[in-house]
Amino acid sequence: MKLLSRDKLAGALTTILILFSAFVVISILLLCIGVSPLSTFGALFKGAFGSKLGLINTIQKAVPICLCALGVAVAKQAGIFNIGINGQMIIGSIASVITAVYIKGLPTAIHVPLCLIAGMLGGALYALIPTLGYLWRRLNILVLCLLMNTMAVKIETWLIYAYFKDPNALTNSTYRIQASSNLPNLVRTPARLNIGFIIALIVSAIMYIYFYKTTSGFELRAVGLNNNGAKYAGINTKKYISSSLLIGGALAGLAGAIEVLGTYYRLYVGFSPAYGFDGIPISLLSGNNPIGIIIGSIVFGALRVGSSTMQVKVGVSSELVDVIQGVLICFIALEYLFKFASNKLLGKIHHKEAANVKSI
Amino acid sequence: MLSLFETMIEATIRLSVPIILMAIGNQFAEKAGVMNLGAEGMMTMGSFTAVLGAYYSGSAVVGVLAGIVGGMLVATIHSLNTVEFGGNQNISGLGLNTLAAGLSAFLCRELFSSGITPSVQNLQRTEILRKIPLVGHILSRFSPLMYISIIIIIVSLLFMKKTTLGMRIVAVGDDPTAAETAGINVWNVRHLAVCVFCGICGGLAGAYLSIGQLSFFQDDLVNGKGMLAVIAVKMGKWNIGALSLVALMFGFFDALQVQIQINFPSVSPELVELIPYIVAVIALFISGENSAQPKALTQPYLKNKYKF
Repeated sequence: MKLLSRDKLAGALTTILILFSAFVVISILLLCIGVSPLSTFGALFKGAFGSKLGLINTIQKAVPICLCALGVAVAKQAGIFNIGINGQMIIGSIASVITAVYIKGLPTAIHVPLCLIAGMLGGALYALIPTLGYLWRRLNILVLCLLMNTMAVKIETWLIYAYFKDPNALTNSTYRIQASSNLPNLVRTPARLNIGFIIALIVSAIMYIYFYKTTSGFELRAVGLNNNGAKYAGINTKKYISSSLLIGGALAGLAGAIEVLGTYYRLYVGFSPAYGFDGIPISLLSGNNPIGIIIGSIVFGALRVGSSTMQVKVGVSSELVDVIQGVLICFIALEYLFKFASNKLLGKIHHKEAANVKSI
Repeated sequence: MLSLFETMIEATIRLSVPIILMAIGNQFAEKAGVMNLGAEGMMTMGSFTAVLGAYYSGSAVVGVLAGIVGGMLVATIHSLNTVEFGGNQNISGLGLNTLAAGLSAFLCRELFSSGITPSVQNLQRTEILRKIPLVGHILSRFSPLMYISIIIIIVSLLFMKKTTLGMRIVAVGDDPTAAETAGINVWNVRHLAVCVFCGICGGLAGAYLSIGQLSFFQDDLVNGKGMLAVIAVKMGKWNIGALSLVALMFGFFDALQVQIQINFPSVSPELVELIPYIVAVIALFISGENSAQPKALTQPYLKNKYKF
């Protein structure tokens, strides 16, 4: 009890309560359709962590999710809800794939970083529009971001069909990227694991240090906690809000670039995995802490990887994963209520302790 | 043979009906101070349950009622989350989008073992109107739900301007504390606006998509129309007439995109699809911060028992 402050304890209890409630609701749903929840979750777990193949795939899937969640978290630390991550990721992947396909004759050591930076710039550039909307016109960032998510998918489809389509490809996609721009693999069998994994870890570490060990990070969090208070303390809140949006965009672009350079090697029409939307619950559940984000993104990666095993073994269609996420996000929306409940619970324990101390 | 002009008008009306319906529903919720990003989810659920109802009863009318129930179901979760328990409105809406998309796709596969439902009775035409001389053959080409949505536009205009309840919705969305002092039960009014009004409109919009335009349900049927409705409300500045016009604009560009795809295969249709979005972004930039916005939008009004 003494080791952890009460706030931290309440926070942990809140997270546990949210996860448990989601688990109960999904179990009830599964029982309603006549499937054992235990065997379903068992198959999910086994598919994601049971074999070396599953484990590698899980980590590989967790990489873009982790970067997107970090992108959400940066903005959230400044009190801004950046749900445009998905669009920023798509634009980032376009920028990176163009760099990867059309710049030729570079060594890998230069080409890969160049493509990653192109992706980051693309994402940041796309995040610039809602940022300017906020700075100039005080527009609702949420609405702009929603608009731009849908726009990004259409822009991607248009660009590929109109300019970058490979006529020989079986699906509608761009040309294959140059061999020099493929992300190097750490493991090749039974599945590929590229250095995106290390990049995500490094970025998480940098973000952790930035949030909790630097003055600038402290000011960023101050802006998020109390915008007016920070303003009176002489912090340039606009600077922090806009830069956090741009950093978020850059991280989303990086996620898109890693996905294209390391997994697909092309950009397909309709490439819009909802990693950005995965990032939102992760960032919220982890309290925007990069360590929690790493854990959360592995869980969400596992859900995606394990779902196919679940479909084969238990016969529950893999769309269940979307349901799980939806229920989870709905419960996260109720965070306030859960916090209230866990505080009440802890309060009771606290009172008892106090009573004990008095009686002694 | 229809002229291009006639086809365009017909398609514009057809394609904008779901956006108008959902936008009006959203306007009720937002006027009451509850942001509803779950519009997409309400429409998805409504379109799925509409097909379910029509499939099991064999009647399209029952389907529409089932669609309304589906929309209200999602709206109920939203209002429980946000009004009853003071949860975060934006996150709840996003969660409901994921939940409704996942749940409908999941149940569709469990019930019909495929991502697409069998064909059911539909309401694509209004045959009664065919008997009207001169214009009957045109009027009968629209779904009866289109006429219902016209009625809804007029009724909700009158409702918001002329009735006590309409005024109360505005009051609750602008200043809940003052409204409570004046003796209005803030939570009941908000529940009513979200759960009933927004839910019914969302369910109808969904039902229109699945059995008013097609006769089946498939994944991604809604495909961003809910988000367009959310944006239409912002651009229309919470004014029912204006937001209907914005929704018509979205419908027009959708129709234009289809026509261009047919008549000019060399122009990429995605570029045309982009136009309404670009227009929306520019319009938002020009109009700037919105003073018409309900003052208490996205702010939960907590019940006393949930206060720390």
